[in-house]
Amino acid sequence: MTLVLPLAIPWFAAVALAALDGRRPAVGWAAVASLAAALVATAALAIRVWTEGPVETVTGGWPVGVGITLRADALSVLFSLLTLAVLVVCLAHEVLSGIESRLFPALVAFMTVGLTGLFLTGDIFSFYVFFEIAMVSAYVITGYGGRPRQISAAFVFAVVNLLGSFVFLIAIAATYHVTGSLEMGQVAERIADVEPSTVILIAVTVFVAFGVKLGLFPFHFWLPVVYASVRPAVAAILSGALANIGTYGVLRFGADVFPRELEFSASALVVLGVITILYGAMQAMSRRTAPEVIAYSSIGQVGYVLIALAIGGPIGYAAAVLYAILNSLNKVLLFLASGLRGWLVGAAFFVGVISVAGIPPAAGFFGKLEVFRAAIEDASVTLVALLFLGGALSVVYLLQIYQHVYWRPGGVAAGGEASPVVLRALTFAVALVVLALGLWPEPLLAASRAAAEVLVGGPE
Amino acid sequence: MILLLSAVVAVLFGAGAFLVLKTDLLRVVVGMVLISHAANLTLMASGLTRGKAPIYPLPNGEVSDPLVQAMTLTALVIGFGVTALLLGIAYRVYETHFAVDFDRLAEEEARREAELEQEEVSV
Repeated sequence: MTLVLPLAIPWFAAVALAALDGRRPAVGWAAVASLAAALVATAALAIRVWTEGPVETVTGGWPVGVGITLRADALSVLFSLLTLAVLVVCLAHEVLSGIESRLFPALVAFMTVGLTGLFLTGDIFSFYVFFEIAMVSAYVITGYGGRPRQISAAFVFAVVNLLGSFVFLIAIAATYHVTGSLEMGQVAERIADVEPSTVILIAVTVFVAFGVKLGLFPFHFWLPVVYASVRPAVAAILSGALANIGTYGVLRFGADVFPRELEFSASALVVLGVITILYGAMQAMSRRTAPEVIAYSSIGQVGYVLIALAIGGPIGYAAAVLYAILNSLNKVLLFLASGLRGWLVGAAFFVGVISVAGIPPAAGFFGKLEVFRAAIEDASVTLVALLFLGGALSVVYLLQIYQHVYWRPGGVAAGGEASPVVLRALTFAVALVVLALGLWPEPLLAASRAAAEVLVGGPE
Repeated sequence: MILLLSAVVAVLFGAGAFLVLKTDLLRVVVGMVLISHAANLTLMASGLTRGKAPIYPLPNGEVSDPLVQAMTLTALVIGFGVTALLLGIAYRVYETHFAVDFDRLAEEEARREAELEQEEVSV
């Protein structure tokens, strides 16, 4: 039952909300409340998983092997918790600033269903179905606001990500063909006996599908256009919640289903990761508006996750999980703050800046620290030097944009009216969470280590 | 059979990719439809078995694999929904830009950007 609630609550809420007018604040708050209820249910599930181990159930009372399995382990509950928290904050932010479209709360609830579903499923095909539920709501949400730029961004976003989805579907077909199963555990067991040259093709296809989602170099081309055109809260949802599909996907499929192929292609992944970091940083330095800089920065930051994943082992996986989580928190903070004006906003943005740059006491420091530790474990001097270079570049571009936006007399931040106090307080609260996680990181470190253990131990 | 199916999938995917690279939005949508059908056909081909219809109670002898058919059906429905949505977005693009061609959309965008830059300079 604990496993079904995080899925059922937003699902029923989404169907009910679709019939109501989301522009009314009461409906918006009902949506926030339902997502918060799902968050509480997920927290209860997470506590059970952390104390008792993975929870598994087969839907519809079917015997094992016939029905679709739902499975919650330390990795999936951590990502569900993060994603739900991000969605609650972003939706509350949008409700406070006034929703313009009647479907917006329902769409966010549908996206929640898709995201929690794909984190909690143990079946490859239902992973694809939940993935599509989340993506389709994302396509519509991208066009939210209705300005010409947002509509054309929605079209680009939809076409590129649909290509990614179909590529993933082909990979699922191939996996089923060679293993005869869709259950992740079984697939991982049987794939070890399959011809390596076949499996590497499937693994590369899966990686391309998630690479498109993540905006890794060379699949990044759609990302800056979309993130820079949509509304700040939508950009926060896309980069803080939806992009988790990509990181969760590469972690789950890379480390859990295709561990042999991951090890085989580690050096290729490191090269891609380094190029991604440097490319994102260089592009970010040459941009002048905050959304564009943050968009390119989110391309670059994913490179760290990829490198940590390629290093592998308990330390590498833990670093990848931790970095993915902190990165999505940072992006939410930066995107929300970039859309606001007035007192406290600059401070919130600055917390985001030092967190991305990895300066204590912000939480981002521990993300960078863990990735460095993994690189030192790998005993590669070049890698450590390149990671350091990437970190230094991120300080440059972010402080540059901070100065450009908040310090310049007559700059963007100085013009216009101050945003409502509640909005600023909400954004500042996110900044405080980032600071608190930096001052007391033990729970998050323990959670990411537990998640890494799941990946190292392989499927049960 | 497998060879024939893979040839069809290859042609569908290739034609779809060719259309997606065009600048006309409607051609892009049609290209996506072709690629989605390439994926559906791959799903069907992945569990191709000869046998009777797998309806309970199961008949004697070989039955065909029902799972790929169920998956393809699901994928088809998703594909239809997404196609409708893409056409909807394309129509919205037409309504806001009065163009369904990427080249003209890019021109429009460049013009807007130049205006914004002018405003920033004057501030």
